[in-house]
Amino acid sequence: MPKIKVPKKSPSLDMTPMVDLAFLLVTFFMLTTKFRPDEPVIVDQPSSVSEIPLPDKGVIMLTVDGKGRVFFNVEGQQMRADILDRIAEQFKVTFDEKQKKRFCVLASVGMPINKLGEYLSSDEDGRKKMNLATAGIPIDSTSNELAIWVNSARKAAPRYSIAIKGDRDADIPTIKRVISILQDNKANRFALITNLEAGPAEAPKQ
Amino acid sequence: MAEVQQQEGSEKGGKHKKVRAKKSSTHIDMTPMVDLAFLLLTFFILTTTFSKPKTMDITMPVKDQIKEEDRTKVPASQTVSVILTKDDRIIWYVGIDDPNTPPETHVGDFSENGPMSIHKMLLEKNKLVYDQVKMVDDSVKRGLIEDKEDIIKQHKSAVKAAEKKGLIVLIKPDESSKYKNLVDILDEMLVCNVGRYAIVDLSDSEKELVKNTK
Repeated sequence: MPKIKVPKKSPSLDMTPMVDLAFLLVTFFMLTTKFRPDEPVIVDQPSSVSEIPLPDKGVIMLTVDGKGRVFFNVEGQQMRADILDRIAEQFKVTFDEKQKKRFCVLASVGMPINKLGEYLSSDEDGRKKMNLATAGIPIDSTSNELAIWVNSARKAAPRYSIAIKGDRDADIPTIKRVISILQDNKANRFALITNLEAGPAEAPKQ
Repeated sequence: MAEVQQQEGSEKGGKHKKVRAKKSSTHIDMTPMVDLAFLLLTFFILTTTFSKPKTMDITMPVKDQIKEEDRTKVPASQTVSVILTKDDRIIWYVGIDDPNTPPETHVGDFSENGPMSIHKMLLEKNKLVYDQVKMVDDSVKRGLIEDKEDIIKQHKSAVKAAEKKGLIVLIKPDESSKYKNLVDILDEMLVCNVGRYAIVDLSDSEKELVKNTK
């Protein structure tokens, strides 16, 4: 019986389509990814059925973590520089160029003003340590620094909306205090940031 | 002559030695490139987050003092005060806060369908408005209202605002309650279509009420 010879095929496949697809995906993910600096606090937001998405830009964000510490954040380097200038003016402190640059690229900041300079000068490890130790931006009536932050931000960016990102376990007195500071600054409309939750299907039948 | 010969010789030699470009295959080994591409792909897939946080809009009243005669009077029977207290507990009562005649209080919880569910209570009390909002949905289904999100929203908020007999909820988060409770109850307002609600501080008599309600 003659042996059936299997024609010798080259073992290599044409990978071009796969590679094309891989590059397409890489491009897509590269373009859609936004890198943001490390947040100093992790906040576990409560969930709600609300479906209004948080706008990408133009948000003044006040973060309240589980221990009741308040952090401040605004996106946009230009805006941050502007706000820092206004704050420096209000508190009569000065920041050097390096500190200003650092502030522009950071995320949320929750330092009392007398420690802000040191915070901006220190390296990443130092900042991490300070973030763990900080008590947030002071909100009590004797040193109401948050009001000045909010006020400066409102002046620098009058069209920005205000959002409060609270932790589930943030206590009510702190939240109420933050809201009342916002009201003092004539900011009566703001948003609470939540996660999406599957709503109750239908009302129970009566 | 010799020169010419030499030239010839060298020419001949050159012809013989002529470097020919090797006919190598046109395929390049793309494996490293593909490896890199996949590495990048994995990295970007893992770092991307798609879910955007949602927000809940609230509007607080202007803080300025309001004159007594400018205050809107609300019928007591339409008003429900919801006090949020420790450990996700809710104390609610119908009517207005009056230190002299303490209202009858009820205990509630955030369960969806339990016996003390605040959700059920609110739905029952706000049935009037809730049904009307539902009717908007029906009209959308029957094609009476255009099926566009913002138009539906407009209709719904108009219905909520127009009904003067709808429920009014005063949300009173107590010092020991958590932010989560506040968001949950605001969420209930959305779900139960309560058009009129406000976040208010507790009065002294209500603090007593919380203490006395077990």
